[in-house]
Amino acid sequence: MTTLTFPLSRIEGHARVEIEVQNGKVISTRFKATEMRGFEIFVQGIPAEQMPVIVPRICGVCSTAHHVVAVKTLEDAYGVTPPPLASRIRSLLLLGQLLQNQATSLFIFTMPDRVGADSLFEMDDVDVIKKKHFEMAQRALKIRELGTDLITLAGGQFIHPVRAVVGGVNAGIPAERAELMLNRLQQALPMACELFDAYWELTIRMKDRIGSWGDDQPAYYITSTGKVRPDFNSHEIRVMNPEGECCEIFSPRSFREVLEFKESEYSYAGKTSYKGGVIRANSLARANLTAHMGTKVANGYLHRLRIEFGIPAHPIMLFELGRGIELVYAIERAAQMLEQPLDGEDTDVPYTPRDGEGYGLVEAPRGPLIHHYVIEKGKIARAEFIIPTVHNMGSIERALKVAAERYITGDTVNMELEKAVGRVVRAFDPCIACATH
Amino acid sequence: MAEEKINTHEQNTVPRFAVLQLSGCAGCEVSLLNAHEWTEKFQLTYMPLVSSAYDVPEVDILLISGGVRTDEDAHHLKNAVKNAKRVVAVGTCAISGGVANLGNRDEVRQLFLKRQDRLDVPRLLPRSRPVDDFVPIDLYLPGCPPTPELFMAALTDPAGYQASLIVCQECGRKKLKDQKPEHLLGFQKGNVDPEICLINQGYACIGTSTRGGCRAPCTRAGHPCVGCRGPSNVLIEKDSQAWLESIQKVFHAMTNIPDDELKEALLSPQLALFLFQFSDYAGGDRPPRPKEKVL
Repeated sequence: MTTLTFPLSRIEGHARVEIEVQNGKVISTRFKATEMRGFEIFVQGIPAEQMPVIVPRICGVCSTAHHVVAVKTLEDAYGVTPPPLASRIRSLLLLGQLLQNQATSLFIFTMPDRVGADSLFEMDDVDVIKKKHFEMAQRALKIRELGTDLITLAGGQFIHPVRAVVGGVNAGIPAERAELMLNRLQQALPMACELFDAYWELTIRMKDRIGSWGDDQPAYYITSTGKVRPDFNSHEIRVMNPEGECCEIFSPRSFREVLEFKESEYSYAGKTSYKGGVIRANSLARANLTAHMGTKVANGYLHRLRIEFGIPAHPIMLFELGRGIELVYAIERAAQMLEQPLDGEDTDVPYTPRDGEGYGLVEAPRGPLIHHYVIEKGKIARAEFIIPTVHNMGSIERALKVAAERYITGDTVNMELEKAVGRVVRAFDPCIACATH
Repeated sequence: MAEEKINTHEQNTVPRFAVLQLSGCAGCEVSLLNAHEWTEKFQLTYMPLVSSAYDVPEVDILLISGGVRTDEDAHHLKNAVKNAKRVVAVGTCAISGGVANLGNRDEVRQLFLKRQDRLDVPRLLPRSRPVDDFVPIDLYLPGCPPTPELFMAALTDPAGYQASLIVCQECGRKKLKDQKPEHLLGFQKGNVDPEICLINQGYACIGTSTRGGCRAPCTRAGHPCVGCRGPSNVLIEKDSQAWLESIQKVFHAMTNIPDDELKEALLSPQLALFLFQFSDYAGGDRPPRPKEKVL
């Protein structure tokens, strides 16, 4: 038996892919997360009220989702409901993260695959193609910076936000600052659309060239965004079966009864499944489970996706087009929210900390994120972080198997396999820092 | 630390830099991407987050983020510095081990090491460790994460960069003589007065002795400073006790908060994470980092 090992790049965190082959047959495809810091263990014994500032450090890319969900988990434990203004500001915070993340995944992680480059950051004044890539990278950086600036506006600090507090938020957003951001978002929308149009076209061209990314088969889909339109500051999780019907709705409190979780023998990240079946979370799950984007331009793109690929749609390259739709949505929706006043007095409600158990939920860019804390004497006695990338582990490995079987025949390995492995993994945009935490 | 400025014109070549990410959260990398002026001035040759390159080539500057948590981290680190003219430790994790250091506490360490019973994954080291336990460092860039402005200063002209002495100088909140809180408010509460010093409002803010340069985004947003930039130059070469006492002195002067209440807050994990990154929190008896090497 031979094991082929593929290092991974242009993803968040440390991981590699291992493919075991015997007599030309693919025995297994393993996604191996190779880092762990141990958050579930080391938060034991720390004061519960510090969680919203400590858990964003699980991941600097997904920090906002961890910040907001930690606050919601404590609110659940303390029996507190934040006022509407606070919920709106938290939603805005999550949109900043969506914008930042989708821009990074689209233009920095996966665009190089479409243009046959290792990176878009190769500065070269002579080579016309490299120069074009470089200019694209610079525009992409401006779009994603807008996302972090939105996080700063709504969350205080730009990577590890601080403004969501138990009971609400610690301040509103002054009108003049909201207006400045609104103008920037409105100006950025055409540039984001232009970048996404180019991305869409290059994606279709790549599809025509290579066929499938690796796995076009049905799966279960899971998301917590709204049924009618997206809402990332979410409250319940929905599952769609491979036939395209919503087959389960559950609260974060009952996740253990619905999802099966297994630790992995060969990776620091575990794996979840639904009724023994492979689950997909992230943008394609949302595209399949949302009726409407709720904003004009993004909904136009969603409509186009449905005309071209149907609903539910299954090819994994559509995760990437889905991310582009959400990039546009995040800009439009954030602008809509900033048009309404966000500087009211009613930012938070008083609360009294108490011992007990809490569950929290948000839709992170990679899917539903659940935190669960048990609090004793004001300190964390037990914590669980149910990470969206972990839901996708089974579907990543299934897609890797399809790709491996395509490029390994008899005793030859087509060198295209290396690129295929990268394409498959990046389509799911896994976050290893979160998955292993 | 190399004293000379990296001059892009004289050498007629663009300086090259690489980013090695060890066990961390990638927040430092996200901040670096925000500092996009570097794209015009430097050639990025290795940064797995944004480019497919699998070995660190020869570079003028190597930025290291994340702490050393696994044997693989240690291996990558030792190999990478061989090819670098100047090595910069970036962020709390590289400088102290960071948030992962909470796993070094005796009460959780054993639980922790049990979790690594898996096939062919990098082994966890007995403790999370800072990068300068393994390789010499030319420059320390503290912050969780350092801001884009600080990244640009570290890349272009660290010797010429002058940060404010403490966070208070960048915060702009008013300190009041006659508003002395009796007790701490806790770490996060709503209804923060936008103008008044957070200590006057009863928050355990340690911006009074934390080095400046971050432009005080947290305190200006109403959240007490947790000290992620480390101690000011006055305190940086002293042990953690000196820093602790300096903070206590400030609270004695500005509040009526009882000593034990304050001490409990200052030693709690959220603050301890950052508070002692330059001295003894990460364990061992390593000497303090000289202030000339800290941006």
